[in-house]
Amino acid sequence: MTPIFDLNLLLTGTYHDWLVAGLITSLSLTGISLALALPLAIVIALIRLSPVKLLQWSGFAFVEAIRNVPLLAHLLFWYFGAPELLPTALREWLYARNVEATSAIIALTLYTAAYMSEDVRSGIRSIPGQQFEAARALGFSFVASMRLVVLPQALRVTIPPLISQTLNLWKDTSIATVIGVAELMYQAAKVESATFRSFEAFAFASVCYLGMSLLITGAAGWYQGRFPVRTA
Amino acid sequence: MNLRNPLLAGMLALVALVVGTAHADQLADIKKKGEIVVGVLGTDEPNSFVDPKTREIVGYDVDLAKAIAKKLGVKLTLKQLAVAARIPELEQGRVDLLAASLTHNKEREAKVDFSLTTFITGQKVIVRKDSNVTAVPQLAGKKVLTVKGGTQEPNLRKAVPTADVVTFETTGQAFVALQQGKGAGYVNDEVSILADYAKLGPAQKDFVILPENLSIEPLALGIRKGEPALKRVVDDTLRELEKSGEAEKLFFKWYGNDSKIKFHARPFKIESDKVDS
Repeated sequence: MTPIFDLNLLLTGTYHDWLVAGLITSLSLTGISLALALPLAIVIALIRLSPVKLLQWSGFAFVEAIRNVPLLAHLLFWYFGAPELLPTALREWLYARNVEATSAIIALTLYTAAYMSEDVRSGIRSIPGQQFEAARALGFSFVASMRLVVLPQALRVTIPPLISQTLNLWKDTSIATVIGVAELMYQAAKVESATFRSFEAFAFASVCYLGMSLLITGAAGWYQGRFPVRTA
Repeated sequence: MNLRNPLLAGMLALVALVVGTAHADQLADIKKKGEIVVGVLGTDEPNSFVDPKTREIVGYDVDLAKAIAKKLGVKLTLKQLAVAARIPELEQGRVDLLAASLTHNKEREAKVDFSLTTFITGQKVIVRKDSNVTAVPQLAGKKVLTVKGGTQEPNLRKAVPTADVVTFETTGQAFVALQQGKGAGYVNDEVSILADYAKLGPAQKDFVILPENLSIEPLALGIRKGEPALKRVVDDTLRELEKSGEAEKLFFKWYGNDSKIKFHARPFKIESDKVDS
């Protein structure tokens, strides 16, 4: 008689190894996408706030085009659609490698960056405009005023919403299962079809998602306590 | 257990209710509702797929479901399911019957009951010519594409443990990925591969179907465990179809010369609900 909840299935053996490999893939997807999305988000926020109209518009178009399409559609586009437009040699080079994970990282990075750029932009706008004007009056360039005066204050305001976006990114990695990336949900589904132990497989995935999410939430709470927002 | 928590008590009551209704006789329920809900794939030609002209789900599985609904004198409602969702949907009672290219094997007998075997197919691999693969063992270390939650992935792993298997929600997506060159091969039931191959048109020259079978797959209708009355009606209907020659007609309608599959002979009869493995 098999137990109602077979904990051993999760703690040792092949199925355990599959699930742990999935967890590591999910964490890597989150880490790499975050590392790429964050600088991209800052650049997009600055483009939207730049004095050049054309840049403002292109930043606006990027953010709206990405935010208003579901992540699932992004993933399918970057996996099934976009690579087909590449020149043959480059495409074959890419297909010989891990094209699934690459497409997932591109989609997750752009999607997360679009949301994060709005948070960064709000942060920058929360710093009184006179500070920027004062910096400009003292002869700093646009970039230098931003870098030395506005951004250091703005990013402090922005950290809590950015941590919240990181939480979303962590959960969003689960959608990569549809393009065959062997992340946590993919492996849980694989264990389910191999063993018919749906409850155990998805319990493992849920505990991982919940645990990691709570850690990220905890980090946000800690940060707010340690570095409270200073009002100018 | 502490039942003072009203939320927990409520949830337990709900669970008891759901479990309770699941024990009623399903055949009686179907007749009372006047409707049988049958789970189909709708993405697997020629078993169940969307007819591009009528936009309706048609196929061999669908015709069998129609015959059963007719025998019961109830309305047939088709519900499209993902491969991996078939058995869970049946177990949870969201469909009454599965007619969804479902392989009957010993492992699954612990979860669901099966009707008489309605079709026998082998599982095969179609490969890209440029992968230079000519036999199944050469797939070792190569990327092979298939659908999530079916018997395809376990069968391939058994045959080639070191293959790098990548799975998708539908067989169609996996096949598109093969056409785009994202893997060396694609695994599916032979009849489905033949239908896919036929759709390739002039691109057929770039693909080869490997001759070896990964496995022999007896397909059957899936019935929830512990519903002998429903199983009897389903099996009786299938036996009658076989006896009247209607089953053979259906076979040639979907797999014969006029179809994409072009089988000339029918190598099985609908007669047994036993499988070897």
